[in-house]
Amino acid sequence: MPASASSLSAPSFSVTTDHGRVAFVGGLGIGTVAEARLALSNVPSTPSRHIDVSALTSLDTAGTLLLCALQDRGDTLIGLRADHKRLVKLVAGLDRAPPAAAKQAPGWRRLIIATGRAGAETLKDFFDFLDFTGRAAATLGQLLLHPGGLRPSAIAHHITETGVKALPIVGLLAVMISVVLAYQGVAQLRPYGGQDLTIDLVSVSVLREMAVLITAILVAGRSGAAFAAEIGVMKSSEEIDALKVMGLDPMQLLVAPRLIALLITLPLLTFFADVMGLIGGAVISQSLLSISFDQYLPLVRKAVDSGDLLVGLIKAPVFAVVIAVTGCMHGLRVTGSAESVGIETTRAVVKSIFLVIVLDALFSIFFEKVGI
Amino acid sequence: MTNSSPDGSIMSAHGIVNRFGKQTVHNGIDIDVAAGEVLGIAGGSGSGKSVLLRTLAGLHTPQAGKVLADGRPVADLLPAERAAFMGMLFQHGALFSSLTVAENIMLPMREHTQLSNEEQVPLAALKLALAGLEPAAGSKVPSALSGGMVKRAALARALALDPRVLLLDEPTAGLDPTAADGIDELITQLNDVLGVTVVVVTHDLNTLFSVCDRVAVLADGKITVGTPAKMLRDKQSGVHDFLSGPRVDAARAAMVGTAKPKQQGAEHGK
Repeated sequence: MPASASSLSAPSFSVTTDHGRVAFVGGLGIGTVAEARLALSNVPSTPSRHIDVSALTSLDTAGTLLLCALQDRGDTLIGLRADHKRLVKLVAGLDRAPPAAAKQAPGWRRLIIATGRAGAETLKDFFDFLDFTGRAAATLGQLLLHPGGLRPSAIAHHITETGVKALPIVGLLAVMISVVLAYQGVAQLRPYGGQDLTIDLVSVSVLREMAVLITAILVAGRSGAAFAAEIGVMKSSEEIDALKVMGLDPMQLLVAPRLIALLITLPLLTFFADVMGLIGGAVISQSLLSISFDQYLPLVRKAVDSGDLLVGLIKAPVFAVVIAVTGCMHGLRVTGSAESVGIETTRAVVKSIFLVIVLDALFSIFFEKVGI
Repeated sequence: MTNSSPDGSIMSAHGIVNRFGKQTVHNGIDIDVAAGEVLGIAGGSGSGKSVLLRTLAGLHTPQAGKVLADGRPVADLLPAERAAFMGMLFQHGALFSSLTVAENIMLPMREHTQLSNEEQVPLAALKLALAGLEPAAGSKVPSALSGGMVKRAALARALALDPRVLLLDEPTAGLDPTAADGIDELITQLNDVLGVTVVVVTHDLNTLFSVCDRVAVLADGKITVGTPAKMLRDKQSGVHDFLSGPRVDAARAAMVGTAKPKQQGAEHGK
């Protein structure tokens, strides 16, 4: 048997036509079938051609598929070698109908279907969220009644991960935010001679809104994503199922420590961001308004009261619940594939940031109405 | 099929040494894969079967020794050459979960051939049929397949470019006996009709004795190669430890019962 290809490159192949008789010469394979097809298109397509394949040195399945297609349209293969004949016989005998393309509805109907589906999904999402929050709250309540089920080491671990390790970035961002606010304040208020009010602007908005908002968004991106991915990978490797079979409650074992940890760390991080924001305000006041630190403190005390601090801090536990519940819920929704871990993690982050901002807006309206 | 090495081997490894930390897994292994044969690699857990396969595939660089594919160092193969030369079936399939089965099979075709999409689709369907899957399986995503179907789909993908060598890592692990028999038959058929050289790493004694032309047993960092019958008579301690016991006796009895109908295939390869 002649060697088909001594090198790894595609073997040479040619088609010769002589008085209407077509001959394939060389190696017919995946690298050369396109060539063969092209050459055949130049041959008059009489109903039943005779194709000489005795000079084929090698044949692979792609080539065999072409030969079978030629046979199917009525061509005759001449001089097929015994081993090639077996290949042709094998391929011809297989059910190789390409899978039927899925039927597609017309565009306008697909749009309606997609809209309806998205709506139904959002509604289901909302109820899932309520359901999960309820179950998390029940688990938490149960743990408060029977503190024996609390896992201090797991909670401590999550406090480190979500809180202690987030301190540098939260502090930095809080300083940055007050720098941004101060610059805007000075630029906008200077024409009216009210640039000194910048201190009021910065300290009030940091304490009431910015510190807690920026902290929650950061924690949602950091810890919400981590919760979803950690639990998601456990879900996809059947670890969650293993817990259930062993009679352990994933809610109590995985969700509760994360929720408790975040309930502790997010208010503390918010307070840290408050302090850093005010420090940032002090630095910027010194450079932009030439107000020294000694003068700055009384001005801040005049501008804000404890109500402003509380308004900010009271939102933190609510955001903590939203972030922890969304992250864990999406982690538990993972279904097997690596792709679904990615999808659910993304959803967890997007949804928790969305919810945090919407809730913050609602809080603002509420506090305005009750006049705090 | 073909070979460019004078000794008739399509792949060879010489003096392979693999160490992980202080543990020496391979201590100077020589193995030649003859063109057209089915070579089984066996050995206990942790004896470095999969590492040897990965070394042959060029996925793992050994601490010492060289691997030749078609007479050239495997590391020097260009990506397209490597794809045309070898196909690998990974233990858990390693099908890309974001693509359908047909798209998985068409991925190497798209990258390494000039075939149009209209030509790729029937070719992918042919590979599916060769691997013994229904045409409908092509439009499924890997997570919707059963274990046996995943192996078959992964085998279809390994065959996408009609490679000259198939490297199979535990093709029957985790399958029920019927599905495992199906895979065994498939390996024999592919070797027989397509003339593809097969290197199969397996614990499955039935695969070793009913499919393989030669069996290589890894023990204590060394390798012993021979025909299945010869390996069974081998009294060397590592080999004997692995190839003895009630399960081996049962598999041997089964092998004697069903004489291997693949002499023709071996002829075909030369």
